Amino acid sequence: MRKTHLWFLQLISGALIAVLLGIHMGLMHLDDILIILGIDAVEPTSWDSMISRAMQVTWVALYIALLIVALYHALYGLRGVIIELTSSAAAKRAVTWIIIAFGLTAFIAGTYVPIALLSS
Amino acid sequence: MTENMSKQIKFRVQRYDPEQGSEPHLQEFTVPAERGMTVLEGLIYIKENIDSSLTFRTSCRMAICGSCGILINNYPHLACHTQIEELGADTLTIKPLPNMSIIKDLVVDLTPLFDFHKAIEPYIIRRDKEEMENPSAEFAQKHEALQAFLQFTYCVKCGICVSACPTSASDRLFLGPQALAQCYRYCADTRDEGEQERTRLIDADHGIWNCHLAGACSESCPKGLDPALAIQLLKRRLVSGAIGLGKKQEPSAVVLPPAETKEKLPFPEFTVKQAK
Repeated sequence: MRKTHLWFLQLISGALIAVLLGIHMGLMHLDDILIILGIDAVEPTSWDSMISRAMQVTWVALYIALLIVALYHALYGLRGVIIELTSSAAAKRAVTWIIIAFGLTAFIAGTYVPIALLSS
Repeated sequence: MTENMSKQIKFRVQRYDPEQGSEPHLQEFTVPAERGMTVLEGLIYIKENIDSSLTFRTSCRMAICGSCGILINNYPHLACHTQIEELGADTLTIKPLPNMSIIKDLVVDLTPLFDFHKAIEPYIIRRDKEEMENPSAEFAQKHEALQAFLQFTYCVKCGICVSACPTSASDRLFLGPQALAQCYRYCADTRDEGEQERTRLIDADHGIWNCHLAGACSESCPKGLDPALAIQLLKRRLVSGAIGLGKKQEPSAVVLPPAETKEKLPFPEFTVKQAK
């Protein structure tokens, strides 16, 4: 894959983070304002609300999507910063694989609980 | 400073001679500066009258050769293109351009700059090799097509943009604004068909996507070019090509010169009559 494609995905993921994180932040912290708009989130930060959302496919999908785009955006950006300071080809390969491994581990850890809750 | 009045200006010049094993240090010289005198003339005054060992590059003295790029009061300039008066200071601190290794005093090693420049193949590449080797006529180009890249043809390869670039400071393998702007200059040229070859080089680590768009290259260019704009336009070409959007640039056709040409305008008469 050309670097242009990876960079384009970086831009797309940035835009998606703004939308998905906007939904999350709006729901969690702007519930007083949402009531004015007719949306009653009913104590969104409470345990019951959280478990209730974790049982709904839409919310789980939204959070997994947020996890994917955030991990890609952050780790590809981090790789870019490290590669800029690296001249050795072997070091670059090592950095790339460490970041891919870290990203996959974080993705599995981040999706395990919501998927387990959903399927319980 | 009034006309013909000379003012004593202190030049604090960085000296460094690797053969002597000394560390870079500043040496002070006092130069009588007259109105209109450039920093380069000040350096030449020092070399001719005070210390002949002072080393710096210079050639054309009219901002077209790009030899005399130096750091004056922490800002990169062409020494021949900077008048002492316009700096408005009694003391000038003069150092070699940053982001490049020093050969001696104010002379830096421009080899990486030219290596990156050569790497982007800065010449017209055509698929019709026969026409390239044995041209039958000119490649036609419209005026508007020329305007798309004309400003970037004025690059004098002084290296000032690279010395101002924060990415070049942290990443010595970064192609740099000079090479990337020249890459755009040739890719945007309707006579050229070498974009694919150049893309392979710039669309990689230490290539175009490492530009942070600080804009320091455009701010510092002594020829008024906008390399940051060229880099952004090149990014647009790459993304458009990658996702299949945008117009495909058709290479210019070979156009034979017209068989008949218009009659030339008469040569104007001399305003001052020549002696018979």
